[in-house]
Amino acid sequence: MNVIIMGAGSIGSSLSRKLSDLGHQITVIEKNPKAVSLLPRGRVDSGAITVIHLDGSTGPAMIEAGIVDADVFIAATGKDSLNGLAAQRAMITFNVEKVVALVSDEAVRTLYESLGIYTINKTTLVSTELTNMLSKDEI
Amino acid sequence: MYLVIVGGGKVGNPLASSLINEGHEVFILDNNPDTVIELQRELGMIATIGDATSLQALKDAGASRAGALIAATDSDEDNLAACQLARTNFDTPRTIAVAHSPENAKLFDLVGVDIVVSATDLVLANLATALPAHPLIRLMPISDGTQELVAIKLPAAGNVIGLTISEITLPYGTKIVLIITSTGHQKSYNSDTIIEAEDEIIALTPANSTAELWELLTELR
Repeated sequence: MNVIIMGAGSIGSSLSRKLSDLGHQITVIEKNPKAVSLLPRGRVDSGAITVIHLDGSTGPAMIEAGIVDADVFIAATGKDSLNGLAAQRAMITFNVEKVVALVSDEAVRTLYESLGIYTINKTTLVSTELTNMLSKDEI
Repeated sequence: MYLVIVGGGKVGNPLASSLINEGHEVFILDNNPDTVIELQRELGMIATIGDATSLQALKDAGASRAGALIAATDSDEDNLAACQLARTNFDTPRTIAVAHSPENAKLFDLVGVDIVVSATDLVLANLATALPAHPLIRLMPISDGTQELVAIKLPAAGNVIGLTISEITLPYGTKIVLIITSTGHQKSYNSDTIIEAEDEIIALTPANSTAELWELLTELR
């Protein structure tokens, strides 16, 4: 699959590595050229992961990243509203089949889900995981 | 009307004071404490610190009883999120957002923000009135933007100069509303009126015919 990931932070970088391991073609859009240190260097050099330094929430950046042929668009910056805007553009303007937005606020997650965007609330994930871990220990 | 404004900076601040002067009840949300202090000093206790994209902050600001929410922060993505949160959670009857990039203005429109104010388009419109070229000025969108009122200044060497109005084939649905002469006077006209150099034509036109109308009226001989 062709996957576009917006944001090369810790989540975007680790995700691009894992999806690339599975054989998917990955394009990462990261505005800040200095913020790509977490991306797997070898994969970038070999061309398995393409990196583009533009504002990934804009149409021109998405086109540059090949959104027309993308199967999945994942908005993984640290800002909920930016992820939401980019996800809506990918979905509405470019008709990407599967659009995912990372969020950390539950109200925002509900909003984007209602718009047809797949969402992951990283805050809830972590706290649920921790709660499970602790309650297991107690039993 | 009770209005919630998110973003009390360069746009939100003067906006709030003119809305207050018009008799509206206004509440402002801004995430910058300095901006909030400034607002409170100028306008009273009608501003609080809060994130535009926080549901709780919008709730505390009274979004559920607001007649409209106006999103005027510097960040397009926050403006969109604030409008969508207000619409889906509080049924805010009108959402209004500033979009700094023209591309975002289009997206906001598509996803259902009621009124989108495109900062770039506003600057362009004002520039157009100031520049000596032969600009197209979009005066007002009409009937949901399917038609618009435009002003077009005719070049001295234009193709249509010297023709009568009946000799010009206007795009379908376009109607000339007013002609203003180069000296700034209204020109009374009928189908035999001759178009003169530097006339300014104000016309009502279907939005998708505006470009055609502009080309027709500004094409050079």
